[in-house]
Order: sequence, then structure tokens, then C-alpha cells
Amino acid sequence: MFRKVLIANRGEIAVRVIRTLREMQIASVAVFSDADRASLHVRMADEAEWVGPSPSTESYLRIDRILDAARRHGAEAIHPGYGFLSENADFAAACEAAGIVFIGPPAESIRRMGSKTAARQMAVAAGAPVVPGAHEALSGPADARAFAGQFGYPLLLKAVAGGGGKGMRRVNSDAELDAAFRDASSEAERSFKNPDLYVEKLIERPRHIEIQLLGDRYGHMVHFGERECSIQRRHQKIVEECPSPLVAARPGLREAMGEAAIRVARSAGYCNAGTVEFLVDARGDFYFLEMNTRLQVEHPITELVTGHDLVRLQLEVAAGEKLRLRQEDIAWRGSAIECRIYAEDPDNNFFPSPGKITRLALPHGPGVRLDGCVYEGWTVPIDYDPLLAKLAVWNATRETAIARMLRALREYEVAGIHTNIAFFRQILEDEEFRAGRLHTQFVDEFPERRKPFDPPPELESIAALVAAFHAKRSAPRAETAQPQRSRWLDIGRDEALR
Amino acid sequence: MNQIEAVEPGVYSVLVDGRSYEARVEQSDGCLVVFIDGHRFEVEIQDPRRWSRHPGKPGIAGRLHVTAPMPGKIVRLLVAEGDTVEAGQGLLVVEAMKMQNEMKAPKAGRVVTLTARAGATVAAGEVLVAIE
Repeated sequence: MFRKVLIANRGEIAVRVIRTLREMQIASVAVFSDADRASLHVRMADEAEWVGPSPSTESYLRIDRILDAARRHGAEAIHPGYGFLSENADFAAACEAAGIVFIGPPAESIRRMGSKTAARQMAVAAGAPVVPGAHEALSGPADARAFAGQFGYPLLLKAVAGGGGKGMRRVNSDAELDAAFRDASSEAERSFKNPDLYVEKLIERPRHIEIQLLGDRYGHMVHFGERECSIQRRHQKIVEECPSPLVAARPGLREAMGEAAIRVARSAGYCNAGTVEFLVDARGDFYFLEMNTRLQVEHPITELVTGHDLVRLQLEVAAGEKLRLRQEDIAWRGSAIECRIYAEDPDNNFFPSPGKITRLALPHGPGVRLDGCVYEGWTVPIDYDPLLAKLAVWNATRETAIARMLRALREYEVAGIHTNIAFFRQILEDEEFRAGRLHTQFVDEFPERRKPFDPPPELESIAALVAAFHAKRSAPRAETAQPQRSRWLDIGRDEALR
Repeated sequence: MNQIEAVEPGVYSVLVDGRSYEARVEQSDGCLVVFIDGHRFEVEIQDPRRWSRHPGKPGIAGRLHVTAPMPGKIVRLLVAEGDTVEAGQGLLVVEAMKMQNEMKAPKAGRVVTLTARAGATVAAGEVLVAIE
């Protein structure tokens, strides 16, 4: 096993990796930019190295500086976390060339999965279902009609040269097809000087469900089941859960998706941890979307339900150990949910809200796991993704896990900046959510039925009472001049001199 | 037994009719903001002694400053000095962290000063608009 590992990342994931390193008695090396000198990952690591100014292009994305830091500190391996250089094939190759182990898949696997079209072809070759589509130009409406005959409506016509929704039409029935084709084609002609269209099956209100994989260097690979990540804002997941309510209701679906995911990963020569993402429709039909060649943000819920430490397993297989787990050793127990706590304002289009954290009260107690990177008095920098922490809970059932998450969210208080904590309380109280009717447009549709976050009526008078008490207590006593020294000052001085 | 107990700086434990509440107080522009169980209350403290001491002077509580929440760039102004605005009306658009954000009037009133200029870079906390 390695004796020293550098973490080429920051924030909560760097803290997360350091924790497992410490449990394995492996020394940790943090890297940091100007903005992160006081950040928790630097405080927690055994060693730390400055790698540049605040912009990530000048620090966390600088392959040369990261490798220099690794060499200077004698790190034998680099954990890339997620984001930054984690899916950069050149970085993985540069590590290898420098004789440092990249804790992740081979550079070639990253490269293959990095291209969406290449990944789709690989999935098709591996026999994994993809969203049905003909990605060559159609000769006319008749081609689209033939496609509909095979895959059904609704379908989506898209401009071959397109983007941004231009030249795109939803077609619900045969009667709409000719007009839609004509409109889309002329719009494509006007927008891109190319009238060619292709056709894809439209997956309505799909779920986003992904499969966690882990493989060793010797071709052995297992899956750790699914995570449902349908609750997204601005195409970014904010609530994840395991098991998926849909998968839990469909015997055999987890195994089918797991096997398909392993087939795709194998065909890319994959090893270490990775995630295959699928779109899933209401019937439980699933379609390959893409593969993330790294540890995912939401990995803690898989750890809670399966009991395995994925970072530890990553380190073991990266060090060349054989993965001893067999597929039948992996079992799923209870239910886990994660909420991503962001410094952002849900009432203002989730606008980022960096700034100083003036007070922090954290949730504790049974079944609560908090992967965070903040402390009271720390200033959330404006330079990076404003993820403060991932709050994950476990309980025996989905229903009790939701209740536990609501309880934990009530204990969680962050002052000085906006967060989405109260928004999560509303999501988890929502009937559609509680019924498990999830899909990727959930957050977009939620505001229409979102109930106002109104306080119980008595709280207003409590607030007035507290404010008056506070004002009286903290006001300088100007009206009655007090010549005598405050006793508190004397106590403070005595304490300081002790 | 104290009904209100200061338990941490700015944090109070309140017992009323046998029920327990926890409240946190923050100083804000001309008022106190009290948070209880995730709910936010703005409380204006009116001290009768101050009224008698400064007769006729306009209270500072009547004027609210809109400040930049973070460093950014002013994209455009939506109001002019002297305009009457409704609470929640957009005042200007600021761009920060690659996102455009419309800053809204915290209360109804008249725009008495407009220090913001389109295209200008602003620092966090910088006063952009004053409404009275």
C-alpha cells in the first residue's frame, strides 16, 4: 500500500479522501490556491503545498504544478477527487509518465469515455441500450415515419448541425409529423444553413439513475447498485438516493442495469471506481447516457447502504491489490438520501451566495453523515463551486430516511450566507417526492406547487421578544451614564493574565 | 428561571408556555434579523427615548441601502435616481460568477441615490442604491 498520497482537489472531497487516508495510516498531501490557504483540507492534511493563484486554471488545473508538488513531497499516488483534473486523460498519462500512480482508470479509458459519440458507440457495441435514434440525416418525413413505426411516438426531430434548441421539434403523433418536419427543417436551414434533420426517441420525464462500479487491474469488476439522481437544478444533481424508488419497485432492474454497466466499462478497458449513467423511463426501460470515470459526488449514499468505503477500495485496487469482493458479497441494506448543501439562494434562481459563515450549527445523531469543508468564521470563496457539504442520512426504510433527513435539516444552521437548506425541507415534504414520483424536470416544475415556507404564527411574537431582549442587552447604556467599570471587563482581563 | 437565556453569542433559548424555541439574532441595516427554525423575521426596534431626543429628524430606519452581495460587474440599471419603486421591483442587474442576478428593491420607496454605473466593477458590500 502507498505510504503517501497527494489529493489534487479541494473542498469537501479533499477532506473526504484525507479521512480514509488517515484511517489507513497513509500520509496525506493537500494542494491549495491563494483562496484556500485557510481551507479545511489544508488544515486537516499531514502536508500541504501551494500550487498557484485562486483561478483554478492557474492552480488546481495546472498539471505541472500538481506533479511538482507530488514529487517534492514524495507522494507515490494522486487521488484526483471529482471535477478539476479527475477526468483529464492527459493528467492520468502525465502521472504515469512521472512514475506516480493515478488513482483512477487508465488514461485510455478516460479518453474513450470522454467523447459522447464514441461512448455511445461503445455502449452499442457492448450491447447496452441507448436512446434509440438515427444519427444520420433523414431523407424526408418518410424516414422519420419509419422510425416511429419501430420505436413509437413521441419522437424528437433535431438539426444535424444544430444546438440550442433550434431546428428541434417534438412530434406526438403521425398527424403532426409532416408539418413538424417542414418547420424544423426550414428553421435549421435559416439557423445553420443546413436543413438536415435526424430523429431520436423522446424519453418523457426521464429518471436519472446511475450504477456504481469498481474493478481491479486484473479484469474483475463488481457493481454497487444504483443511485437515483433525478432531483436536479440547472442540470446538476442536488438530492440523491439509494435505492431508487423505481428500482426498488422492479425486481431484477438493479441486476440488469448493473450487468449492462459492467459490459460497457469492460469494453473500455476500465478499472478503479466509475459510474455509468442511464436515463430510465416510466416503464423501467433504461438507456445509456454516459460514463463518469471518477468517484462521484454522491458516493456516500452507496457507502451507507452497502457498508463499503469506496475510497479505500479505490486506493487498494490502485496499489495493485486484487479486488476480493465478489458480486454476491454486495448487499443493500436500508435506505440512504443525500442533500447537497450549497451556498446559494433558491429564491433567486439558485444564485451563488459566497461569503463569511458567521454561525454554523451542524446536524448530528443517529444515521447522519456529513461530508463538509466549512467551519464557523470561514469565508466561502467566490472562485469555486459553492458546495458547502453533503448531508447524507441512513435509515431502515425510505420513509424513515426522509423523516431523518428532515430532522437533520432542522438541526443544520448556516448564517451569514444563503443556503438551500430550507428548500430541501420543502422538497422532502412534497407529496410527489414522498411518493417517489421523481424525474429530471422535478425541480423546474416544483415552484408551481411549492408551498410558502410560512412560519407557525406564534414564531413572530417569539422573534419580537428575542429582538427586544437582544437590543436591550447589547445596546450601549448611553441614557444612564455609567462611570464605573464593567465587572465583565475585569473578569476578561483577569482571564487573559492567568 | 429565565424565560430567555443567552446560550451562545447572538443565540437565545426561549421558553414560552412550556415550549422551547431557539432564536439567533443578526444585526442588519437599521433592523434586527431573527432566525427561528429556518424562518427569518425582520424586527425594527423603536426606542421611545430616541424619538424625544431627536425630534423631527428623519430616522435612518427609513432609508435602506442595497449593497452588492459579492464582487461583480453591473450589467445594466433598471431605475433612475428619483424613481418611485415597489417592493420587489428590479433595480439593476449584476453579473458575478458567470451568472446574471437582478437585484430587487427591499421595500417600496423613492430611489434617493444611485451610485451604481452600468459596466462598473463593484466590490462585495458596496452600496449601489439607497431607497427611502
